[in-house]
Amino acid sequence: MSAISLRDVSFAYPDAPGAALSDAQLEVFPSELLLVIGASGSGKSTLLRTVNGLVPHASGGRFGGEVTVFGRSTRTHHPRDLADVVGFVAQDPESQSVVDNVERDIAFVLENLGFGQEAMRRRVEEVLDALGIAHLRNRDPSTLSGGERQRCAIAGALAAAPTALVLDEPTSQLDPQGADDVLHALARLNTDLGTTVVLAEHRLERAAPLADRAVLVADGRVGAPADPAVLLSAYPGAPVVTQLGRALGWDPLPLTVRDARRHALAEPLDLAAPQREDALVPGDPVVRATGLGVTLGGHRALRDVDLAVREGDVVALFGRNGSGKTTLLRALAGLVTPTRGQVTVADGASVAYVPQNPGAMLFSATVRRELEETLRLLGHRDAAVVDHWLRALHLDALADRHPRSLSGGERQRVAIAAVAVGGAQVLLLDEPTRGMDAPSRAALEDAVHAHAKAGGSVVLATHDVELAARCATHAVVLGDGDIVADGDARTVLAGSLFAPQVLRVMPPFLTVREVETELARR
Amino acid sequence: MTTVVTPDSRPGLAGRVQPAIVYSLMLVVGAAAFLYPFWLPASAISSQAHSGDAPLVAAAVGGLVVLAVTLELQRGTMNGATVALLGMLSAVAGMLRLIDLPGGGSGIFFLVVLAGAAFGPRFGLLLGMCAMAVSAVITGGIGPWLPFQMLALGWMGGGAGLLGRGTARLDPRLEVLVLAAYGWVWGFLYGAIMNLWFWPFGRGGALDWHPGLSFAATLQRYWQFYVATSLGWDAAGALANAALILVTGLVLLRSLRRFAHRLEPAVEFV
Amino acid sequence: MSVTRQAPAALVAADDATSAAVATGSWHAGVWLLWALAAAACVQLAPSPVYVALVIGIASMVVSIHARPGPYARAFPMLLAVGVLFAVVRMVLTVATTHGLGDVLFSTPHFGLPRLLGGFTVGGTVELPVMLQSLNEGFAIVGVMGVFGAFNSVVSHSELVESTPRAFFEIGLVVVVGLAFVPATLSAIHQVREADRARTGGRPIRKGRLLRQIVPVLELGLERAVTLAESMDSRGFARLGASTRDRVAGWWGAASLLMLAGAFVALVGQAQTVATLLGLAGAAGLCAAIVLASSGSRRIRYRPRHMRRRDWAIGLVTVLAPLAMATVSVVGDSSLVWYASPLAWPALHLLPALALVPLVVPALVPPMEAA
Repeated sequence: MSAISLRDVSFAYPDAPGAALSDAQLEVFPSELLLVIGASGSGKSTLLRTVNGLVPHASGGRFGGEVTVFGRSTRTHHPRDLADVVGFVAQDPESQSVVDNVERDIAFVLENLGFGQEAMRRRVEEVLDALGIAHLRNRDPSTLSGGERQRCAIAGALAAAPTALVLDEPTSQLDPQGADDVLHALARLNTDLGTTVVLAEHRLERAAPLADRAVLVADGRVGAPADPAVLLSAYPGAPVVTQLGRALGWDPLPLTVRDARRHALAEPLDLAAPQREDALVPGDPVVRATGLGVTLGGHRALRDVDLAVREGDVVALFGRNGSGKTTLLRALAGLVTPTRGQVTVADGASVAYVPQNPGAMLFSATVRRELEETLRLLGHRDAAVVDHWLRALHLDALADRHPRSLSGGERQRVAIAAVAVGGAQVLLLDEPTRGMDAPSRAALEDAVHAHAKAGGSVVLATHDVELAARCATHAVVLGDGDIVADGDARTVLAGSLFAPQVLRVMPPFLTVREVETELARR
Repeated sequence: MTTVVTPDSRPGLAGRVQPAIVYSLMLVVGAAAFLYPFWLPASAISSQAHSGDAPLVAAAVGGLVVLAVTLELQRGTMNGATVALLGMLSAVAGMLRLIDLPGGGSGIFFLVVLAGAAFGPRFGLLLGMCAMAVSAVITGGIGPWLPFQMLALGWMGGGAGLLGRGTARLDPRLEVLVLAAYGWVWGFLYGAIMNLWFWPFGRGGALDWHPGLSFAATLQRYWQFYVATSLGWDAAGALANAALILVTGLVLLRSLRRFAHRLEPAVEFV
Repeated sequence: MSVTRQAPAALVAADDATSAAVATGSWHAGVWLLWALAAAACVQLAPSPVYVALVIGIASMVVSIHARPGPYARAFPMLLAVGVLFAVVRMVLTVATTHGLGDVLFSTPHFGLPRLLGGFTVGGTVELPVMLQSLNEGFAIVGVMGVFGAFNSVVSHSELVESTPRAFFEIGLVVVVGLAFVPATLSAIHQVREADRARTGGRPIRKGRLLRQIVPVLELGLERAVTLAESMDSRGFARLGASTRDRVAGWWGAASLLMLAGAFVALVGQAQTVATLLGLAGAAGLCAAIVLASSGSRRIRYRPRHMRRRDWAIGLVTVLAPLAMATVSVVGDSSLVWYASPLAWPALHLLPALALVPLVVPALVPPMEAA
């Protein structure tokens, strides 16, 4: 007996020519945690929204087939009629609160469902405890962190005590700590309350071990559900330890560092220490910060920072949210005047900063025009550079699409291209892989490599340790406005907190490619 | 608790006649309340000293009209998309009013006109009222002038919606031109309406009102008063209005219209 | 001169301090609304400068004791300033156009406007009684502005919005959602401006900047609104749909408007009593419609902030002020209205001053502390 069932479901959005979903079949069992995997734009989001009726009732369009949720069909039931059995949480933590008070926002669903005063009070208290946010009850959601806001959003959906929760990439906009909090909360809800959870995620290292089954969505087609390890064996975006297991022929494929370690200890490999084949010889400093201090709004964002970025360098900049990463990048780009110290840029070099939110920059009608706009603003004439960057970031196929109709990862790439096309030698990327799926991340890595090889430099402010392991030559850690670690990427990453997964399993290797290269060499 | 609620649209003749009646009455009563200096006879005001009460009574009437229209507009027929879009646009428009442009609020005007044209007359009417309400809360400007501000801006938005229905078929650039002209006219109209409300607070001056003047005399005096106090200011504002619409209209209309289908999603079951 | 040009006040900043203030004790928003209406009525009933000055003094006392922390505290001086500006402009205009009432102070050159622009003369003799009379009228406006400025400074806007009758729940929700969007919009504007500068390497480029910045702000807002809409729909919004009471209330609303229209017609036809009756009936009918629609709404509010008995008591006490003033006015008191000629100091009589005392009560009586 299934909790949620999709039969022959097909759907097309009102203004889109192709079908977003075709012939989808899915059965979700009660109290299971189902993981939905797929690239951006594959139909994942559409699939999740069919479960609670947002597709088709809120979006419009052509809908075929039958979706039944706990006995109710979404053909006859609108999302509001299903609110007591299915809760929905979306990706953006900043857009899901209705009122400027956490407690009242949680009670919103209860008011809509016609609960009495006492029942409302009781439910709100229960849900505040279930998600551990009781201390936030009187706060304004706009003052909370991303992870806290998402937990409040989950609370808002959970207050009606639904039997199922559907979450569309709830952690993609969060930092690792926030993501952890949210996923742990979900796991607890699933195991303690028996809530059925249907979860779409990119961060598979954390999510895959929690799932009972996983399902792959590609091009609007839904595959058959299977064990996560089995499904991920062929998926490019699988967790790094899974990819490692694939390369080394481990069976069953590990999903966590713990499982991988067991394999590594059971089948030890005698491999020589890796040699970094594309180790770039760093050249002269192109941008240098000396004694840099920045105070913003009375708060000392940077205290005393010394940093040199050289030609050909790819610098990974780590640090907790609020440690000053963004401020440092902005200071290097000249967007913020230092309170002490200075930033020097070598003659003839230019620095460009790509901000975190691509939505804040895109406004043209097509991707190509967006890049051309930058050229026009800077007075450059060379149009070939537009094609160069479209190719570098794998955007050729999307050149004539409207930038705002693209998925999150594609938008990030367009934003990076739109800034890079200005011809800056040093590119400062602020959390570029936030919300990116595997293909976008691969395209970004290729572009970063190519740019560094051509003599440019890249500074990446990021939480993504794997990205740093694959691209960075130089790693810097910021803590409370000061530089806490600065050195060769390998050395810094090897220092506990930012260790990539491969390093934890098979030191001293950093990436799967290093292991594969050494294997091939043997 | 599995009730299936009937779809949002109200069925039948009664469902269409009722709002039509209320909107027409709103126009008539609201306009009469605005234009009372022109038709109010002398006997209605007890003494010269109390002609300054007239604006406040008019405000009360305006408030009643706003309440009646609101009752009609929003009774259980707003879905999440309508509330969210109205709220967001009200916030942006309300904040634009804080930017000191001539004409006392051109920022809020141009957005209401464009959004009204993109989303329809009912949305435009609601947006005008809500944007003014949100703006009043943001700027700390709640007072007896608020009902008239809400009505005037509501009419501006509603009219833009009716206009937008017609111009949607035109060439986009022509449409922007028409809307810019509409915004220009309303720049003056809005100033004239609000000025008209403040006019009777003064009495005894050569340009002031007192009840019992003939229609022609009232008109002449008001025109003189308007020229002396507001004309230049409103002219600049009307121009700013039109300019903003001309510059941003094409792109913004396109952006707004992409979301129009969410207000009343059309579902086709296959 | 349009008062729609509000002086730039700061924006909503709902912080912990504000919500704490609501919890620990200020009067309910309804009390302040009653107070503001009562005080404005008193200004209208007794427009003599002396009494208006008293009311302004009471308003500033209220503000100094009960003003909310945050940007709203500035609403009082700002609205006062707007009122003063307005009054001065009116005075200058009146003095420049009204002549022939004697007591000339000085003369200015005069010129006539062309017929198209009104054809009146500006300039000429500046006369004392004209100046004083228009200042007197302007001062009454300053009084009303001051009262509402005080209202904006001391009322909790979120409480005000939450107290809207259930019949207007959806509109109230729009205002709430709009207010919640303000910080998001501010941060979006900030991000967009910075992204624009970043794109051009730190140099702000003016040309085309409006479009480059306003489009992303709007698009960000639209996308956020869609996410919010999905969240609201998923949380059962609009589930309790329209009932028959709503439909009846709609017809009642239409009928009330019809009665108001009738009142206007009666006024034109010089039938005073009929007009007043129709007007009152229209207003009453509308109230009945609102009550009907509210009672038909099955929505129960979470932890509603009702007016407590103490709130109602204080509110009704303040209403005594305009009632007392009206009584004094009916009985007859020469000091209530001041005229500039014959020239004399405005008189202060005891009875009207006493009538203003109830307005002081909300300022001085401490609200109930939350347990």
